[in-house]
Amino acid sequence: MSGIVKIRKGLDIPLGGAAQELTVDARSVAEYAVKPMDYVGVVPRLLVAEGDIVGAGTPLFEDKNNEWARFVSPVAGRVKAVVRGERRALLAVVVERDESVPVGRNFERDTVALDELSREEIQRVLVESGCWTMMRRRPFGTVPLPNDHPKAIFVSCFDTAPLAPDYDYVVQGREEDFVAGLRVLLRLTDGKLHLGFHKGQHLSERVPEDCRIEKHVFDGPHPAGNVGTQIAAIDPINKGEVVWSARPQEVAVIGHLFLTGEYLPEKVVAFAGPCVASPRYYRILAGAGLDIVCSEQLAMSSNYRIISGNVLSGSRIAVPDTPLVTPFIGAADDLVTVIPEGDYYEFMGWLMPGLNKFSFHRTFFSGFDKKEIRRQRRRHRRSVREASRSFRLVPNTYSFDTQMHGQQRPLVLTGEFEQVFPFRIYPLQLIKAAVVGDIELMEDLGIYEVEPEDFALCEFIDPSKTEIQHIIREALETLRKEGV
Amino acid sequence: MSDWRYVKNDGGNGHPLRRFVDRIKPTFSEGGRLSRLHSTFEGFETFLFTPKEVTRQGAHIRDAADLKRSMITVVVALMPALLFGMWNVGHQYALATGEHLGWMGEWWFGFIRLLPMIVVSYAVGLGIEFAFAQIRHHDVYEGFLVTGIIIPMIVPISTPLWQLALAVAFAVVIAKEMFGGTGMNFLNPALVARAFLFFSYPTHMSGDNVWVSAKHFGDALSGATPLGEIMTSTAPGVDGLLQNMSYSMMDMFVGVIPGSVGETSVVAILLGAAILLVTGIASWRIMFSVVLGGGLMGLLFNAIGANAYMQLPFYYHYLMGGFMFGAVFMATDPVTSAQTNCGKWIYGLLIGAFAVMLRVFNPAYPEGMMLAILLMNCFAPLIDHCVVAANISYRKKRMK
Repeated sequence: MSGIVKIRKGLDIPLGGAAQELTVDARSVAEYAVKPMDYVGVVPRLLVAEGDIVGAGTPLFEDKNNEWARFVSPVAGRVKAVVRGERRALLAVVVERDESVPVGRNFERDTVALDELSREEIQRVLVESGCWTMMRRRPFGTVPLPNDHPKAIFVSCFDTAPLAPDYDYVVQGREEDFVAGLRVLLRLTDGKLHLGFHKGQHLSERVPEDCRIEKHVFDGPHPAGNVGTQIAAIDPINKGEVVWSARPQEVAVIGHLFLTGEYLPEKVVAFAGPCVASPRYYRILAGAGLDIVCSEQLAMSSNYRIISGNVLSGSRIAVPDTPLVTPFIGAADDLVTVIPEGDYYEFMGWLMPGLNKFSFHRTFFSGFDKKEIRRQRRRHRRSVREASRSFRLVPNTYSFDTQMHGQQRPLVLTGEFEQVFPFRIYPLQLIKAAVVGDIELMEDLGIYEVEPEDFALCEFIDPSKTEIQHIIREALETLRKEGV
Repeated sequence: MSDWRYVKNDGGNGHPLRRFVDRIKPTFSEGGRLSRLHSTFEGFETFLFTPKEVTRQGAHIRDAADLKRSMITVVVALMPALLFGMWNVGHQYALATGEHLGWMGEWWFGFIRLLPMIVVSYAVGLGIEFAFAQIRHHDVYEGFLVTGIIIPMIVPISTPLWQLALAVAFAVVIAKEMFGGTGMNFLNPALVARAFLFFSYPTHMSGDNVWVSAKHFGDALSGATPLGEIMTSTAPGVDGLLQNMSYSMMDMFVGVIPGSVGETSVVAILLGAAILLVTGIASWRIMFSVVLGGGLMGLLFNAIGANAYMQLPFYYHYLMGGFMFGAVFMATDPVTSAQTNCGKWIYGLLIGAFAVMLRVFNPAYPEGMMLAILLMNCFAPLIDHCVVAANISYRKKRMK
């Protein structure tokens, strides 16, 4: 066990509506979707047609650029719809569960064999089962490529984002799968397998000691739980190097595959946010359509936004007036957040004291409250109990919604991004290099070490309302397509 | 469709003013009769109402702060110095003429003198900003809110309004809009305005006959600033220098001395500094390092002690002229200062050092602060470049 890595820069956003530790079984959901948009840079080649019968693990489409990236059906059933958007771009393949369809192929693995399998065989099973797409590579955030030689694999076993699920809780009961999954990952690299935990995490005790598995304990505000932060703190990526990462629940799915031969993309997801009637966990299969959950948890006919993932870097699902109005959870997400829309005018909004508005900046009185927020957060982690009503400068709850709180402006203020960006990178300079598309400068400033989500807090606090995550993604895509 | 789905907000919140704005909005929109004033209209609209814009991509929630908020905080921080400056204008007049006005009367005297300058500064500057925003089809940016109030505070009270208007126009067009407007300029526009006046109309900008307002607008009475007194002093040694000075240290600290409106009172400026530091708008690194740089240079001169001015205790530099105003409000301009934290230290230290050096060495200009900041504005990108280069070379070394 290594020492504690202290992350000093960052910010915990006190968004209300955290999920209670109570899991509802929602594995009986009928509709599932697999969406190319959930992955970076996938050019899909459709492999099924509407009406086809598919088993759990049958490929629905694959990536034209990466033959190992096969995107498979999470359940056995019938292809209900192939949803296309503008210019016939594939948005999703929707599968309807059908009990009469056989579950799918079995991958015939057993426990003993795991350590005797060659790397090639492990890779083949992962690719054929579709589990290959559950890993992510840096740079660029795509599905790992066949010829990648990752110098290390990272698994962040906790999440510090607003309302993020507690992984100790969601992996409960599947610890053996999780550990088996780690053993699989270990076989894919010659380097180390780095695991990130927060202080006092039970999951860490279940991981066996191994000279190539390194456990790290992180302490600090968000984004301490982001895998990017952990990579930067432990073994930063240089140009030409590749690092893989996976999320704990996906690791458990991989482990389950190798232990039982069954592809079962089960996960426990948090359904949370200020708009949710009783925030809690749901046990689902990947890609589930959460229509039923929404109708029991969300108030009728109010104006809100459903986000697959966290409020900082998640993606909007169930967007009205688009082909995909059913709230299908994203492939890599284990959290659905629902927040109110903010499309209202506010009289002299920039002048008001703003006691119930949350701000990182101390031009709002609420900005003075960071210590209290941090304390609450710590208390919150120990026991998922709403924080007590101790004396506070500002009210107990902040109202969060999708208001921009201003308009886009040139980048004027300096020195603020640095306070929430725990990388040895100059964020403002890198953003500017990305805006002008200076490839060499971006490389020099460390673009390969970052993903858009690492800039999510910068984007959140930016008073100039710059679309930083979009800028970084565009820059990374340019670099990826240039093949540098 | 299940019943939990969306209903669109009605948009407004029923505010009567909102209804009025919505009613006249089409006139200013594309195709409307006054579409040429679109940017201007939108500037006023967003001043009245935070727009109902929602996040489209990236983070779904955003911090409550925006640039308007940041800028207005700086304006608030300038208020103590401005209000005190107004009183001091009247007070200096009363001292020079012996007229008794009472403190309210003195403040009113200054307020009446200063108001036209503020109006001219804002009218000219914002007019140009609105025009550029319209030509470039973007929103009106808030940068000039601060510049517009600073300019009248850093020029002599007797500056003719037409000169002021010319200087503002020069600064906004040449120093700011030519480089792309707010956030793109490399020289502080307010200082460019002052420098423009300083070099174009030196007789109106320095000497002993510009700092105290007379009864009539634009006229001035005699009254020397401490810096001017030191410059013209012929007394031998530092003791003679200090004895000849008409102002005590307390006078200079409180600010009851002639000088530009905003710069005289160290107390009021420190109040503003407190606001800027507590809200985190201005960089404490720059503020602190300018003061440190000035102090170190002053101490160095004390140690050399070649002439009376060099022997002047270093803290006098904080009290005289625009040193503190520059350190708190001008050097900290985030656009024109160094942008890296390390760069800010270097930038600030050099400003402080150069300001004191210019004061002591330069026989022509009594005040060094303006030129020191403008000089370092030019070097700020170079400083940042070097700081960032260190980061780049660390990354390259790591690769091996």
